Amino acid sequence: MNPEILKLARVLDVEPERLAYLADVDVADLQLFREQVTTTLFDANLVVLERMALASRLLPAPVIAKIAEKVFGPLLCARIAGLVDVSRGVDVAKRLPPKFLASVAAELDPRRATSIITRIPLDTVVAVAAELTRREDWITLGRFVGHLPDPTVRRSLAVLEDAALLRTAYVLDDKTRIDHVMGLLPEGRLPRLIRAAGADESLWEPALDVLANLGKARRETVLPLLDELPDELRGRAQAAIK
Amino acid sequence: MAERTLAEQLGGPLPEGIEALPEDARRDLAAALRAARHRQAKALAQAGEDGLKYVPALLRGAVRKAVGL
Repeated sequence: MNPEILKLARVLDVEPERLAYLADVDVADLQLFREQVTTTLFDANLVVLERMALASRLLPAPVIAKIAEKVFGPLLCARIAGLVDVSRGVDVAKRLPPKFLASVAAELDPRRATSIITRIPLDTVVAVAAELTRREDWITLGRFVGHLPDPTVRRSLAVLEDAALLRTAYVLDDKTRIDHVMGLLPEGRLPRLIRAAGADESLWEPALDVLANLGKARRETVLPLLDELPDELRGRAQAAIK
Repeated sequence: MAERTLAEQLGGPLPEGIEALPEDARRDLAAALRAARHRQAKALAQAGEDGLKYVPALLRGAVRKAVGL
């Protein structure tokens, strides 16, 4: 299914199949619509959330962490994350288990919490990335790639297997980031991704999408590898990178 | 009172591709958004009350006041 429909279903908390009528809508329109919906939901209870964020200043970080996990849950934590003091937010996040943070990440609008996200310790981010991989939550992984510093993205990509990395790249919000992200991979990883796609038909679409979004220089480096691919995929790959 | 349309809930014009959808599809999107908002408001109200149980007794009054409960 179109990744944009999956992302919208996530925001609305509905089954993607319910939104099947969006199949023919232009991807850019779907993306814009999802942003409108996200903004509406984030702003819907803004006054109450801001008051809660203000009240959190009165409490020690361990108490906030306990309330966050036991009472607020991932959805409300995600709504409030962008409203709390950055240092306080980071302090609380450090006290929460990666499994919980992974659930918060799934609900978060990274654009609204960039200052906190970028200050969370590297090891915690990597643990969250590993948890999201275990859940096969490529959408959340993909949404964060555009908002994390390069060293963090590099470390996180190292915990993703080839198939996971291709599926994550496929659902990146900002496709213009694909070439940059591929540039963060160690030497030999990109060829490995292409070979992995050749061996698994379910990875063809993600791989073709990656190839289509590579910059000129990187396209030239992958060109010789296409000879190793099955005939049908090779033809489509050559068309994708033309 | 009539339920708010999708554009009314979003507070602005819809993207072309969404505007061009059949009426029942737009109505379904409006219902899904309305339900998401209700779930969120309900969870928030519940969390405000339940969260106080974890606040040390000495701070409870100040927190209650700050949150507006």
